[in-house]
Amino acid sequence: MTALLRRLKYWFTSSQRSQALREEMELHLAERAAELEADGMPADRARAEARRRFGDVSRKHEESREIWMTRLLPELAQDIRYSLRTMAGNKSFTALAVLSLALGIGANTAIYSLMESILFRSLPVADPESLVVLNWTSQTPQTADKDWVHVVHGVQGTLWPGGKGALVSGMFPYGAFETLREENPVFSTVFGYFNGQKRNLAIRGQAMSASVEYVTGDYFRGLAVAPAAGRLIDSKDDHPSATAVAVISFAISQQRFGGPSNAIGQPILIDKIPFTVVGVAPPEFFGVDPVVSPDLYLPLHTNLLVEGAEAARRYGDDNFYWVEMMGRLHPGVTMAQAQAALGPRFHQWVSATATTDGERAKLPALVLNPGAAGLGSLRREYSKPLFVLLAMVGMILAITCANIANLLLARAAARRREMAVRLSLGAGRFRIVRQLLTESVLLASLGGVFGILFAIWGVQTLTFLFSKGQEDFTLHAELNWSVLAVTAALSVVCGLLFGLVPAIQSTSPDVMPALKNGRGGGPRRRTQQILVVAQIAGSFLILFAAGLFVRTLDNLHSVQLGYARENILLFSLNARQAGHRDPEIATFYTDLRKRFEAIPGVTSASLSHSSILSSGRTRPTISGAMKVGPVAIDGARVMAAGPRFLTNMQIPILAGREIDDRDQPGAPAVAVISERLAQTYFGKENPVGRRITFVEAKRDFEIVGVSANLRNGGLKSGEESAMTVFVALPQISPDGVTYALRTAGDPLRFGRNVREIVREADPNVPVTNVVTQAAEIDRSISREILFARLCAGFAVLALLTACVGLYGTMSYSVAQQVGEIGIRMALGAQRGVVVWMVLRRVLLLAAVGLAISVPAALGGARLLKSLLFGTQPNDPATLILAGVVLLSAAILAGYAPARRASRIDPLVALRRD
Amino acid sequence: MGRKPQKNDSLPGSLDMLILRTLSLRDLHGYGIVQFIQQSSGDELLVEEGSLYPALQRLELNGWIEGDWGVTANNRRARIHKITAAGRKQLAVETKQYAKLTLAIARVMGAE
Repeated sequence: MTALLRRLKYWFTSSQRSQALREEMELHLAERAAELEADGMPADRARAEARRRFGDVSRKHEESREIWMTRLLPELAQDIRYSLRTMAGNKSFTALAVLSLALGIGANTAIYSLMESILFRSLPVADPESLVVLNWTSQTPQTADKDWVHVVHGVQGTLWPGGKGALVSGMFPYGAFETLREENPVFSTVFGYFNGQKRNLAIRGQAMSASVEYVTGDYFRGLAVAPAAGRLIDSKDDHPSATAVAVISFAISQQRFGGPSNAIGQPILIDKIPFTVVGVAPPEFFGVDPVVSPDLYLPLHTNLLVEGAEAARRYGDDNFYWVEMMGRLHPGVTMAQAQAALGPRFHQWVSATATTDGERAKLPALVLNPGAAGLGSLRREYSKPLFVLLAMVGMILAITCANIANLLLARAAARRREMAVRLSLGAGRFRIVRQLLTESVLLASLGGVFGILFAIWGVQTLTFLFSKGQEDFTLHAELNWSVLAVTAALSVVCGLLFGLVPAIQSTSPDVMPALKNGRGGGPRRRTQQILVVAQIAGSFLILFAAGLFVRTLDNLHSVQLGYARENILLFSLNARQAGHRDPEIATFYTDLRKRFEAIPGVTSASLSHSSILSSGRTRPTISGAMKVGPVAIDGARVMAAGPRFLTNMQIPILAGREIDDRDQPGAPAVAVISERLAQTYFGKENPVGRRITFVEAKRDFEIVGVSANLRNGGLKSGEESAMTVFVALPQISPDGVTYALRTAGDPLRFGRNVREIVREADPNVPVTNVVTQAAEIDRSISREILFARLCAGFAVLALLTACVGLYGTMSYSVAQQVGEIGIRMALGAQRGVVVWMVLRRVLLLAAVGLAISVPAALGGARLLKSLLFGTQPNDPATLILAGVVLLSAAILAGYAPARRASRIDPLVALRRD
Repeated sequence: MGRKPQKNDSLPGSLDMLILRTLSLRDLHGYGIVQFIQQSSGDELLVEEGSLYPALQRLELNGWIEGDWGVTANNRRARIHKITAAGRKQLAVETKQYAKLTLAIARVMGAE
């Protein structure tokens, strides 16, 4: 190999070498001529004599150059030509190999490109490496009695679990942001932001629902982003008395203004509040969280205009956590130094906000995280599933490589004579190995090329599945150069991997006897068997994992919801954001409900503050602590529902009545409670006629009915029979609402009617989140659906590949044993015995494979525990089923060669040798 | 890797061996090697001088010798060739083979 490297080096420095050689030759001629002259020859004769003795100078120069120049490329070209000829001569093998490699490499490329976009890609801003996300961590706020004792009294945003029951969050009070920003020695800028949710955006009289990001004055400067047009928000804008300005996303500028430059200076309305567009963000910019792609960026303090009094309270409340922060490190400052500088400062600040010993006992501690890739919500959710998928496709590729190595070994048997002849004619072994490797790398490269085509399709499908059908999903997985480089490297590695063993074996010195009798191949058979066992073991792992995921999905599908799933159309409106106020807003919603119900094909319509599934994420305008008399209700969820909601959702009414048209704003406030709540807090008493008190709102609701239990939240996280309090939606001054239409036929057909009716009622109210109830529920288990489908596909692929390997090996070994089998049959062996003889070997191979992979499967499956639902990672039924499927497939693959063996004609077989 | 036979040598491959032997005694430039072989063979062996250069390239490619710029005895800039450790090993192998071969030829020639 070093000779090859040296040759490459010479090849690259060829012109210098050529020049040096010429100089050397000139010197030679000059010295010879000088010597001849010294012996008394005249100068011109001496020169001619020197040339004569040297021979043809330019030819010798050319000959020398050739030594390092020409032999490299022509040999490679020769190898490639030869390989192509061999491949073309063996079309079915080539097609099979390229196809299986294309699937394997393509699957790897697709999964990797998804990983690259979710886990590895940096924010599209200047020098992302110096960005730092500020988080805090603390012990769990709940005490043993489930009371909340913590300096965090309220939060707007997400808390997520850290290790060992700890709590992590990126939200801070505004006071903490100011403290950390002041005279900061480690950060050049510290900027804050928070998700402003969906708002009503009206441009030139047309309303839409737009996602808002509130940002501090240093946000764009800190991220070092340049505007596509106009200017970006700066510190002058982020002030309570500043003019209300907005920066819009590039996409909105195109959709609504026909281009970035047209948008500058234009007036827009956000929840009916006038703003002026001052700039457009660059097209590639999506904020700091790859999941949310804001349509609007507003100065932080404009939330005083949009959200009103509640927002004003937050600025001064040091126990309300709502602003997220990032910082940009000064050049040369490490994250550890920043942590050391800011940790104590935050501790000092937060200590002062604790009022009791309980709060002081578990103060949040500042934690700095790398910010190059932005916020990690998507990474947190998907890093494990993606690594699991990558492990699976990696395994598939390994099985494919083993399979092709196996087929190549079998084919090497056919080419043994050819190799032996070439070796004996003096071809170097390395040269032949190189030629064989060229062939397998070429094969793998072809597989890689087709794999990329497969991956393009795969990435689209995966992105669609991962997006859960959300329209504004911003994951931009694509086949960029880094992904393609990985694919190319993968192809070459595969080619070397599956080519090396057959190449070395088929040129090993013990092939020499092949010339003499054309038989042999003991070690080759062993290698083949090892490869087959490895394939079986790998397939079993994938089969078992697929079994677990299919079972998980099955369990999720059989979860009892307690409410109707099919033929329901959901969509959301927010009239308050469009300027509707109490008490008119309740009438507006009620009138709309009646008009929806009048659409032909709609049997009934109801409304609630959100869909049942997402009622955990969106709270109604009344919530908080509840009491029945003096007893506090623990763990009940509030749903604000309009008339006949329960009937529409097919939730049975067990006692009393449901909320209906009587329950209007002026009428007595009423509530319906779920069965479990009634049993828990009223025992055997009849709850109808009793009262529930909302402590913060200081309002009493009379219980008028009891509903059956229903599952709230997602299929995985929700409780099966959660405690629910339904309050009458018109009586609690609603914000946004979600309508549910029960339809005949495909619910999505009615989307157009709905939009028309809403536009007629008020063109400023956009209709959002149009989805069927079934689709919304499936969306909550999209990861499980994705896993079950992908893994089932992977399992079929792996099983097929392993079967091809098994079939190939057995066919080869039967062909090797024709003579032996012939003798046995001549001696009276029955066909059944011969079939069994072959099948026994198949079963033995399968059994060895299983023996290796069952412990591995049980060990590895524990890593999947968090991805499973309703099934244990060591589920014996799945294990047995996977084993049975594998054995059946093995017998099926082995049966054809076994049958062929039993059909051997003893006479023909014996005459062959 | 197959090697072309040396047209101008009485024995195939012996030029390589002679060069290695020469360089094992001292570092020399191309012309110096030719001179040394000529003189030490008592002017019996006449190397076709031009053939020296392809041979040098081949030896260098095999890693048996190395070339570097230096000055000759007459103070002229020239590529001075040195034998490497691998080259010495190769020389030992070729010397042994050569001894075997000449012995065999001598036996044949001496046979009755």
